[in-house]
Amino acid sequence: MSIEVCHISKTFNQFEALRDINFRVETGELVSLLGPSGSGKTTLLRVIAGMESADPGSGPVLFDGHDVSAEGVGKRRIGFVFQHYALFKHMSVFENVAFGLRAKPWRQRPREAEIRAKVGELLQLVQLQNFAQRYPSQLSGGQRQRVALARALAVEPRVLLLDEPFGALDATVRRELRRWLRKLHSHIHVTTILVTHDQEEALEVSDRVAVMNEGRIEQFAAPETIYENPANPFVFKFLGSYNLFHARKAASGDTPAAILPDSRSVTFVRPHDIEIRRENSDGCGIAAKINHIGFGGAVVNIELVRIDDESVVDVALPAHAYKGLDLKPEDRVFIRLHNARSFDEDYSI
Amino acid sequence: MGEAPLQNRAAGSASKPPPPSHPLVRRAAVTMTVIFLTVFIIIPAANVFAQALSKGADAYISVFYAPRTPPEEAAPSPAERRKLAFHRSQVERTWSSIRLSMAIAAIVVPLNMVFGLAAAWSIAKFRFKGRSLLSALIDLPFSVSPVIAGLLFVLLLGRSGVFGAWASNFTWPDPFSLHWRGFAQSWWPLEATQSFTGVIFTPLAIVLASIFVTFPFVARSLIPLMEAQGSDEEVAALSLGASGWRTFCKVTLPNVKWALFYGAILCTARAFGEFGAVSVVSGHIDANDTMPLRIEKLWNEYNSQAAFSVASLLALFALATLIIQALVERKTRRDEVSAAEEKGTS
Repeated sequence: MSIEVCHISKTFNQFEALRDINFRVETGELVSLLGPSGSGKTTLLRVIAGMESADPGSGPVLFDGHDVSAEGVGKRRIGFVFQHYALFKHMSVFENVAFGLRAKPWRQRPREAEIRAKVGELLQLVQLQNFAQRYPSQLSGGQRQRVALARALAVEPRVLLLDEPFGALDATVRRELRRWLRKLHSHIHVTTILVTHDQEEALEVSDRVAVMNEGRIEQFAAPETIYENPANPFVFKFLGSYNLFHARKAASGDTPAAILPDSRSVTFVRPHDIEIRRENSDGCGIAAKINHIGFGGAVVNIELVRIDDESVVDVALPAHAYKGLDLKPEDRVFIRLHNARSFDEDYSI
Repeated sequence: MGEAPLQNRAAGSASKPPPPSHPLVRRAAVTMTVIFLTVFIIIPAANVFAQALSKGADAYISVFYAPRTPPEEAAPSPAERRKLAFHRSQVERTWSSIRLSMAIAAIVVPLNMVFGLAAAWSIAKFRFKGRSLLSALIDLPFSVSPVIAGLLFVLLLGRSGVFGAWASNFTWPDPFSLHWRGFAQSWWPLEATQSFTGVIFTPLAIVLASIFVTFPFVARSLIPLMEAQGSDEEVAALSLGASGWRTFCKVTLPNVKWALFYGAILCTARAFGEFGAVSVVSGHIDANDTMPLRIEKLWNEYNSQAAFSVASLLALFALATLIIQALVERKTRRDEVSAAEEKGTS
């Protein structure tokens, strides 16, 4: 089912959480809302879910072209998964998953045997079939979140809304669950919106990513586009570590780029897009001195200081390249910038 | 996200290790507490039972039980008969006070559970203008002297009070006089043979005063727990299509049931024990005596053994409350800790 949000604004005591948001998710898509905390992503999700109503004067929320703005959260047929699971503590896993089925109006309520079959099927799907009689407090965080997902799926939602679902889990479980979610989505194919502040997570699982900042959507595109063609400095900065030069590229499109100092432009380069050389053969290298070398496993993080203006440059070098160069602190080298992006600085960030 | 109005991060500091302290300081503090408790609580409480039983078990029982007045020819003398009748009336008044106390508690506690739940719900789960004012108002009965609380009702509903004209003509049936009438005369099978007119100086005023005095207990025991739990579970239930009522019964209520029970126990204890407010609105009429009022009257009649006997009932009741309270408190603490854990340790 497609979801469309038109001109939605939301204000909490003068704090503008959402500013005139327009946003469309196609049927079967998995879309991430990515942004720092306070960027409005959870608020947008809650408006779509019907847990929060938009400011008066906002446009409608459309599910498959139908205006659902007036419908409450229970009527929209959504599956919502919370960061802190929100499982019913006093109910077993089975009863948690069955809750939505038992809550149906009397006429639509399935028979006990059907409920059992359905819950069993869902627990199989989330790989928790042996945990039906346990209570939430007896499960690990990852298991709880899978129960929450099964509970949301039980009512056959038209759309799945996930609010930082892996935010409370540790890194390994996160990665595992992320892949699992991707697999699940390709299996059941329900339109899904995922809120997260983790760039890696958003880029890895989503079909499209909406990067949000201060209540606006800065860019809404496929993960590769977002990463390689960020629309503005904010998106570039948010998607990973970076070096910032108050300069512009000498000519657009060339790589490695020569940069010219320019106070009205900024140029960004990712640390792993900087190359280190011993000599400056073609003249587009920048002279720098190695300040510190930090060994980080697969990559070596090198901190350099430019000779001309003494600004600091971070470089992430693959371990094999690092070995080939035989670098030591205080060495004088040349750095070359690849994939540099320049923006005019009328943008205040 | 911070701006979501319903989220609350009231992480409990329940299981902190005690700070290091000098063993001498610790011992001194414990000794002081024990001495204080002994002098001010244990000895007086033991004294209640000692005084109650000071004239023997028979005297204790005779406070609550009087044999039937023997027929005229069996009685030894008119003086003896008068004494027996007086004894009987005393016992009857004591029982009337016990009955009234129980009835008051039976009315006040359920009402305050409903009010308290509603108040705690609105304060813990919603953010609105005047929320802190409402929160302060809930505590008002704690800070107002009970005598003033009683006086408030007299000034409002008494004969010359603000609503006096209406209140003093208000007629209501006496629930103790209800009896089965059958369906012959009307669809309603119960009928009261007696009724009260007026509010002040009737049991209704005692109910009102007791509600006022015991109001904060349920709300206060629920608010911290409800705030710690937040409203995610309720929203989850609603998003699964459950009705508001079902969400309340299946999700909200089970989550707070121990705290609610705890509040109800405190409320019951106070309803039984309240003296000041009830004393003002009862008008010192014998029929309006609750147990504490009865104790005072017995004491004023220089019948200290009987006063202590009735007091011993209240003390026993308090003891039972204390034990249940300790048991329930452990359960509510567990609820609160688990709520805090779920939210806090991410």
